[in-house]
Amino acid sequence: MNKYKKITLDGLIYQNPTFMLVLGTCPTLGLISSAFSAMGMGLTVVVILTLSNILISALRKVIPNAVRIPCYIVIIATLVTFARMFLEKFVPDLYDSLGGFLALIVVNCIILGRAEAFANKHTVPEAAVDGFMQGLGFTVALTLMGIICEFIGKGSLFGYQIMDFKVGMLAKPAGSFLVYGICIAVFTYVIDCIERAKRVKANKLARENLLREVA
Amino acid sequence: MTVKGFFKSNVFKCLVTLLCVLLVSGVFLTLMNGLLAVSDQERLDRAINKIYGKSVAYTEVAVADYNDSATIEAAYKIKDDGNYLVKSTGKGGFDNGTVTCWVVVNVSGGAIKGIDKVVIDSNKAQSYIANINDNFLSGFYRTYENGYYFNPNDGFIKTGATRSATAICNAVNGAIDYVNGKFLGNVASDAYSGLKYTEYVDTKATTHEGKDGNVIFHVVTKGYGMATPFSIDITVDREGVIKAYTITKNGTDNYDPNKMHSGILDGTLFVGKTVEDVIRFANEGMEYSGVGSDLKTNATNSNYLCLYAAAFAAENYEKFLPEEPEESEEAPKDDEQGGQE
Repeated sequence: MNKYKKITLDGLIYQNPTFMLVLGTCPTLGLISSAFSAMGMGLTVVVILTLSNILISALRKVIPNAVRIPCYIVIIATLVTFARMFLEKFVPDLYDSLGGFLALIVVNCIILGRAEAFANKHTVPEAAVDGFMQGLGFTVALTLMGIICEFIGKGSLFGYQIMDFKVGMLAKPAGSFLVYGICIAVFTYVIDCIERAKRVKANKLARENLLREVA
Repeated sequence: MTVKGFFKSNVFKCLVTLLCVLLVSGVFLTLMNGLLAVSDQERLDRAINKIYGKSVAYTEVAVADYNDSATIEAAYKIKDDGNYLVKSTGKGGFDNGTVTCWVVVNVSGGAIKGIDKVVIDSNKAQSYIANINDNFLSGFYRTYENGYYFNPNDGFIKTGATRSATAICNAVNGAIDYVNGKFLGNVASDAYSGLKYTEYVDTKATTHEGKDGNVIFHVVTKGYGMATPFSIDITVDREGVIKAYTITKNGTDNYDPNKMHSGILDGTLFVGKTVEDVIRFANEGMEYSGVGSDLKTNATNSNYLCLYAAAFAAENYEKFLPEEPEESEEAPKDDEQGGQE
């Protein structure tokens, strides 16, 4: 399999940071009561994760192993501070809705995790694709759960009121927990089914080949 | 380790790398801060733009407090419609916190016509502020016609964050008072301002009269939490002793008045008492946190409001005592008249 295709599939599905690795749960639970906030947080993470992966990959041969984590933290914190300045200047509504979670991206384990697990071992283009795809996986997951929580919890979508019926609890952190858990279960089940189907198909093919060889 | 050895060591390399990363980050952020910093003026324009939904021209006006329950932070006159936009901080929130609101006071023909908009700007220690929704805030537009001041008995205040809602009401009241007093010259007469124990007394609704050498206060308290305002008639004699204490409107009527302290409910607790006795009853002074255990009856706020009303009347009676009839001078007058006849 093409390595970029593998990185892409890992980021979006097989190593999806939200549903499979269960990383970044703090902003997930805090922000999925609103689809707009969830998507805004996801897109911000895409930018920061991609840039941090690029920088860390580019500097991986320069930064001594002993101080790599402090250096990563400084780089990530710089990017997050820049993102905060940018959002406050140009997208103040999103900046207000993200609140303290924006500053907390510095300690988001997805970003530091990808820096440590991937970026410092791979080339810049690979790290960039990984950062983008991991961020996209995070964004899709957050937006999906944001849509569910906002639609059922507030009867609206991206702030636009659609229906009067609502289950208020789903717009609160307890409801977010429930939705998050159910989404993880459904996502894992679907992936499991696909994997099982693949294995069955492979086994069938292998058996047929074996029978053909024996015959 | 020699100096040369140090410069060749991994420690030195680590230090230089870290310092370089920090330096580059610092320079980058300094440059970005210069480019992207949001000025105070820009923030203000955004806030006003958000409230009005469009860009409007405005002039800043001087601020002053006209109300004990609110602090006016900033005020602007909107050139387009002549309304006033007031940033007001209401006191009396949950855990003694505050809520700061932007209040658009609609002014027309030299009088306040209503509240056009109330937007929450920030708060201090209001854990349940999320329960304040647009429906509650729009209550200010609906209820204005029913009365000049908004208070907890307006009905719309029970939100799941009653204390925060009280602070918002205070902020709106403060904004109304400010615009009325500062720009319209309609300062409501308040004979009781500056007196002691007025924190929970609605000084604008309270009245008094002199009768038989005593002062009869018709005290109207403010609402407090679930307790809506009480109306209490308190008679204080020339010695500062409470002669009569009658609750004419009970603020707990909506739920269970019997939860109140029985001595407060029928007034017997206060009759024959002076302000010192009333304060002593609170055991640890008149601070709410120091309310004595006798007042904690599941209607603590109501008890406390009544206690405050008694303290207010017994403390301030001297200023409103009627003049004593001068009998000694009238007697010779009669004699004089008799002589002429």
